[in-house]
Amino acid sequence: MTLRKCWIKSMSTNYKQMIQKSLFFNYILVLILGLSFSSTYAASADEGKALFKQYCAQCHNKNMKDKLTGPALGGVEERWEGREELLYAWIRNSQEVIASGDPYSVALYNEYNKSVMNPFTFLEDDQIESILLYVNGMYEGTYGPKPVTGEVAGVGVAGKDETNNNFLYIALFVILGLLALVLARITANLNYLAKVKEGNAPATRGTLADILTSKGVIGFLIFALIVFAGYTTINNAIDLNRQQSYAPDQPIKFSHTLHAGQQKIDCQYCHDGARRSKHSVIPAANTCMNCHKAVKKGSNYGTAELTKIYASIGFDPITDTYIEGYKDMEEDSIKAIFTKWIGDTYKEEKGLAKTDGMTKDGQRLVDEQWEGIVSSLTSDTKESVYGPIPWVRIHNLPDHVYFSHKQHVTVGKVECQECHGKVEEMDVVYQHSPLSMGWCINCHRQTSVQFADNEYYNAYESYHEQMRAGDRDKVTVEDIGGLECQKCHY
Amino acid sequence: MKNHQDTTWIGITDKNNDPELQDVAQSEFVGLPIAEALSSEKIVENASANRRDFLKYLGFGLGAATVASCETPVRHAIPYVVKPDTIVPGVASYYASAIVNGGDFCPVLIKTREGRPIKIEGNPMSSITKGGTTARAQASVLSLYDSDRLKSAGTIENGTFTKGNWADIDKAVAGKLTASSNIRVVCNTVMSPTTKKVFNEFKGAFPNTKVVTYDPISSSAMLQANQENFGEAVIPNYHFDKAQVIVSFGADFLGSWISPIEYSHQYIKNRNVSKGKGAKMSRHIQVESGMSMTGSNADNRIMIKPSEQGAAIATLLENLGGGGSPYKVNAKAAKALKNLASELQANVGKCLVVSNSNNKAEQILVNKINDLLGSYGATMDFGAVSYQRQGIDAEIQGLVKEMQSGGVDAVLFWNANPVYDLPNGDAFAAALSKVSTKVSMALSMDETTSLCDYAMPTHHNLEAWGDVEPKRGQYALIQPTIAPLYNTRQGESSLLMLANSPNINNTSERPYYEYLKQNWGAMATTAGFSSGRQFWDEALSNGVYATKASATVAGGGVQVGGGSINKPSSAEFELSFYETVNMGNGNYANNPWLIEMPDPVMRTVWGNYLAVPINWNESDGRFEGFKGVGRKVVKGIADKLKVTHNSVEQTYSTVPQFGQMNGTASIGLGYGRSVVGKAGKDVGQNVYPWCTIDADGNTQYFATGATVSEMVGQDDEFGCVQYHHTYGVSGQYDGETVNVDEVDIVPIGKGYQGAITDRTVLFKDSLSNMDGLLEDMTKKRNNAKHLNDATLYPFEEYSAELYSQGHHWGMHIDLNSCTGCSACTVACMAENNVPVVGNREVSRHHEMTWLRIDRYYYGEAENPNVVFQPVMCQHCDNAPCENVCPVNATNHSSEGLNQMAYNRCVGTRYCANNCPYKVRRFNWLDYTSADLFGGNQNAINSEDPAYYTDNIVRMVLNPDVTVRSRGVIEKCSFCAQRLQQGKLTAKAEGRRLRDNDVKTACQTACPTGAITFGDRNNKEGSLVQKIKSPLVYRMLDEVNTQSSVFYQARVNNKDEKLDA
Repeated sequence: MTLRKCWIKSMSTNYKQMIQKSLFFNYILVLILGLSFSSTYAASADEGKALFKQYCAQCHNKNMKDKLTGPALGGVEERWEGREELLYAWIRNSQEVIASGDPYSVALYNEYNKSVMNPFTFLEDDQIESILLYVNGMYEGTYGPKPVTGEVAGVGVAGKDETNNNFLYIALFVILGLLALVLARITANLNYLAKVKEGNAPATRGTLADILTSKGVIGFLIFALIVFAGYTTINNAIDLNRQQSYAPDQPIKFSHTLHAGQQKIDCQYCHDGARRSKHSVIPAANTCMNCHKAVKKGSNYGTAELTKIYASIGFDPITDTYIEGYKDMEEDSIKAIFTKWIGDTYKEEKGLAKTDGMTKDGQRLVDEQWEGIVSSLTSDTKESVYGPIPWVRIHNLPDHVYFSHKQHVTVGKVECQECHGKVEEMDVVYQHSPLSMGWCINCHRQTSVQFADNEYYNAYESYHEQMRAGDRDKVTVEDIGGLECQKCHY
Repeated sequence: MKNHQDTTWIGITDKNNDPELQDVAQSEFVGLPIAEALSSEKIVENASANRRDFLKYLGFGLGAATVASCETPVRHAIPYVVKPDTIVPGVASYYASAIVNGGDFCPVLIKTREGRPIKIEGNPMSSITKGGTTARAQASVLSLYDSDRLKSAGTIENGTFTKGNWADIDKAVAGKLTASSNIRVVCNTVMSPTTKKVFNEFKGAFPNTKVVTYDPISSSAMLQANQENFGEAVIPNYHFDKAQVIVSFGADFLGSWISPIEYSHQYIKNRNVSKGKGAKMSRHIQVESGMSMTGSNADNRIMIKPSEQGAAIATLLENLGGGGSPYKVNAKAAKALKNLASELQANVGKCLVVSNSNNKAEQILVNKINDLLGSYGATMDFGAVSYQRQGIDAEIQGLVKEMQSGGVDAVLFWNANPVYDLPNGDAFAAALSKVSTKVSMALSMDETTSLCDYAMPTHHNLEAWGDVEPKRGQYALIQPTIAPLYNTRQGESSLLMLANSPNINNTSERPYYEYLKQNWGAMATTAGFSSGRQFWDEALSNGVYATKASATVAGGGVQVGGGSINKPSSAEFELSFYETVNMGNGNYANNPWLIEMPDPVMRTVWGNYLAVPINWNESDGRFEGFKGVGRKVVKGIADKLKVTHNSVEQTYSTVPQFGQMNGTASIGLGYGRSVVGKAGKDVGQNVYPWCTIDADGNTQYFATGATVSEMVGQDDEFGCVQYHHTYGVSGQYDGETVNVDEVDIVPIGKGYQGAITDRTVLFKDSLSNMDGLLEDMTKKRNNAKHLNDATLYPFEEYSAELYSQGHHWGMHIDLNSCTGCSACTVACMAENNVPVVGNREVSRHHEMTWLRIDRYYYGEAENPNVVFQPVMCQHCDNAPCENVCPVNATNHSSEGLNQMAYNRCVGTRYCANNCPYKVRRFNWLDYTSADLFGGNQNAINSEDPAYYTDNIVRMVLNPDVTVRSRGVIEKCSFCAQRLQQGKLTAKAEGRRLRDNDVKTACQTACPTGAITFGDRNNKEGSLVQKIKSPLVYRMLDEVNTQSSVFYQARVNNKDEKLDA
């Protein structure tokens, strides 16, 4: 029976029954809505993600498939099947479980060189459940984005979560819309019935079209549209000039994957300001020269990129010396030095003698590379290839924001990757975090201050007392005033 | 008991309770109604836009903004090619150096960021200044970035500079200077031993060379007197800290006389009364005609006419039994001097008498007085004598004659500007035209340089190497902190090059550095170092070096010899000319920080003004006025008077000045430069030509027989900041003395709100009434507590929780130590990127200074005492400004700071309106070109572009402080950037914060240590100790703002006998 028929039928019986029936419909609708909320476990897996990042990610690989300091967590529940309680106990305090003599636990402990897993006694059951949910989700690929490859990595990661939410909103919107429609029908019918009872019934009952074109509905739609448009405009306006995922081409195709990932050069070797200054500092060309005095050919681009450093600083890779008077040298003589280097290297690769004439291909390569050097190192305001390399700045904060790397790196002991993402996996560096104020504040709300071992914080006596008394488990940045305007704006 | 409020006033208007002041005091933002203001700026007349245009602009604006903001510009991060080891981008480096300008000396630490000096701090290792600074030293960093400096060597013809290259100019000048020619090097005091050696080398190459040293504001007579009495033409080594009675005849030793930082520091030592009961302090008597900064700090002032100074000195000597005085001083002064003499005699061995007199006979009498009082060996000696003034006026006068007679072939001007700053500058200029070769070694184009043939511009102090010996055996090194901005050259190098000296290697990268170092190497063994290198390194790192024992040579046994003192004039009217605290002798004339720094006493900016007596009617206690002038000063309008002397007429805006003797007027020197850069153009008038020259050739800084006309007009753009942002001033109302602003603001029925009419702004009294003062303060404190306890907001409860841990910043200001020197004001401008706004803007109350120094008079109207009160944001824990902000742009931090978030501020100005201390400043115009859409407004002060838009000038901006744009409120932040920096240092080192970690800019600048900043939660810290003094109070305690700035009451040591 269609709804309409039902109503027609009910009309012919009595009003009371009809009202009951419409209430029943409502009940069903509510039930459907309720189900649509509870049927998604996204919320708790999301919570699990946050918890995992905060407590587990230091030691356990996020992909759940590879070992890090600790084992890969994928499939952990199968491994502990039937002994969930013990698993929970292990997570809270693994040493207790090992001490109890559980053979699997002891074996695991030994396998990882007896490195002790931090105790997390404060974790609630449902928090652990959330973490496991997230672990499974990541392991089976049902949670979050599929691992993306290639150049658009950054863009991909950033976008996914939001589309999930959008789908939810759309579903909600449709359901609520339906509900509104049903309710409108019911009211219309009730009104009609009321009028029928009073005996002044209009000729026809309001149709759906009448309802949809009524003043109320149109007014509401316009109102909703304005609210929606305003909301979107403001949100987009706030986002203006934010550059999350910004991955510009750099004058030198420097690969962090190679340097930080494969060669495992410490971030602060080059960005040596991070620990002692507000700026992390883009390394000067002489820092590059520490290694590239010896490493003169790149693994990816040969002489094409590395020669740019030599051209910038004035280093002759053939004689292994810094060129005297380089600053005032004519462009032609500079060109002669570096094209010779590129040419010689090319010949060497092709097994030609240095005295041999240059091949056509070789000449083209030399010309191309030299043009690359010139276009990378010069600009409208800088004529010579000599001088600083004009790197494109990726992370830009507005002028009125004072951010100190020293505060975060040296005092807060925050890993570079927390904000910059896995730079060691980026061939082309992109801006990983939104760098919005909301993002900063969120982190300040959640992050614990490194209270232990820093006598500076002895000034916060009450917090220390509360921690000793067990009334407080951590002091966040917010607690010591980390959300106050003049901490960053002055 | 005396009510402490009713005896205080700031100017004539509130003494009279004029309606103008009430007007001004009522409104936070004084100015014309908007339509009038716009029409006065000729906007309305020029505006042709109608509604349609408006919509078009709006549409275009929106569209443009959208388009502009869609595309994010590509920003580059430019690293070093080869990073210097000493530079970490983002971290400031400090270099020890010294700021030297003629006889001005201030050893400093120069803060540099990424290789550019941005702030001057005092060098605490100096035994002379002990870390203090002056406003001039603070501002010197701005002179470095002066885009009006000479940018390369060149030739000058008819005052026009033509750029040349160094090689050609060197060749041309060297060609003109032949070994046989008569050459004169004209300089102001040179304190550098190495520069003197260079002069000697130059003399060696050109044997007929003479160095002529003079000082625009000279101590020539004192040098001559000491030469005569003690055989040494030097300034004695004074110990103001050892003196119990200090008498100064006209010497502004706290403000501008010889070595003000040193003297201020010493002076204050004996004037600390923090313990309240049983406190002792020295006595200071100033004998002068106009109110100088030092006079305003004195316990007693004895007023004499300028020409009476010699007579006054002689009278004091007579009363001390040292021979008769040929002349009489005015009766009142004579009586006071007699009393003073007996006071001095009671303190033999603990007295110090100084004088700025430039008459040799008078200075000998001063020596005699000191001799009689046993000062030599006690409060002054000839051990570590001062070399800060070396000029003998007769020499430069001799040069004028020599040049007139054609006996000089070439003159080299070494940073000297005699055409401007000699009394007979015109004669000098005329004589100069007879000299065939004139070479200028100056920083920028000035009156003298414009008459030269060749310009060999020198480095600025901050770009140059050098050494200095300000006092015997005490050295300081000057090192460059930035590569030369322009194609200039170290002056010494130029001389050595012209002399073709074999001791300098001109092909080297730093020729003079090597020369200097070599010269210092010779000193190493005498200084007790094993190697020259060790000596050099240590001296360079510390910035200062003092030889171990500088023998104390007592002096004494003064013979009064020949010469005559000045005869008091019988003329009706006398003018005195004084060195201002900010402008010096005139070579800071192009420095806007100093031009806009309010004169400590007159509180005026952008010019020198005529200070006239107030003419007080004793019978009804009302101001009658000097020819009726000064009634509208409060409204930013000054009356103009015409002053005529020696048939030269000048028109001055006039300020009625308390403490100015009847029949006298004062004008500041150093203004009115005619050949000067953009900022200094048309600022004030030059009064050097009105100075006279006495028989010894010494310049006399007063003039008798001048006439002053009736009012000849009005100066509508007159900036006297004392009347801006005012509160708590007293006046008469219904026969009662009340605070004038309250009369209008809070009349409730017939009475006034008890708590507010009797406001706590100032506590001051004399030492003899210490008990009364303490009692009064206790009463007020209890009353305030009583009122505050009745609040709806239980402050004690929530503050206990809020501020019980972490930091709770606070500041203590000792009003007794504050001399009003204003170094803090300029330091604050430098540190916090406070814009210079210009004369017109100041006259409209738009000055932006975050720290003002209020000046209050109290006591006798005719000859009052003065209190200076530095006022900055009080960082109230119960801040009235915070809860009126509609956008929460100003709010409170857990560390007790009243924070200001500029990017949130929408410019309603409610906060400024609600601030009882009037410390919030509004950016009316885009003074710093920080606006996103530049150029959408009128030019500021008809400058186009505005001062701070110059890219060279902008290099002085502190990168750690936001450059505010138009339309926001700003105010003192307690140097939030320094707090953050200090905390971070402590955190990174894993230790508790120490007192030394955080010091505000004003605190470090202060020569007397009047300002202490610190953490109120650090119970061992110096701040907490200082707050415990019974003399400490909070301003407007009774309104329950719970401010974080604590003032310590001003106490003078007045002897009523001297005023009788």
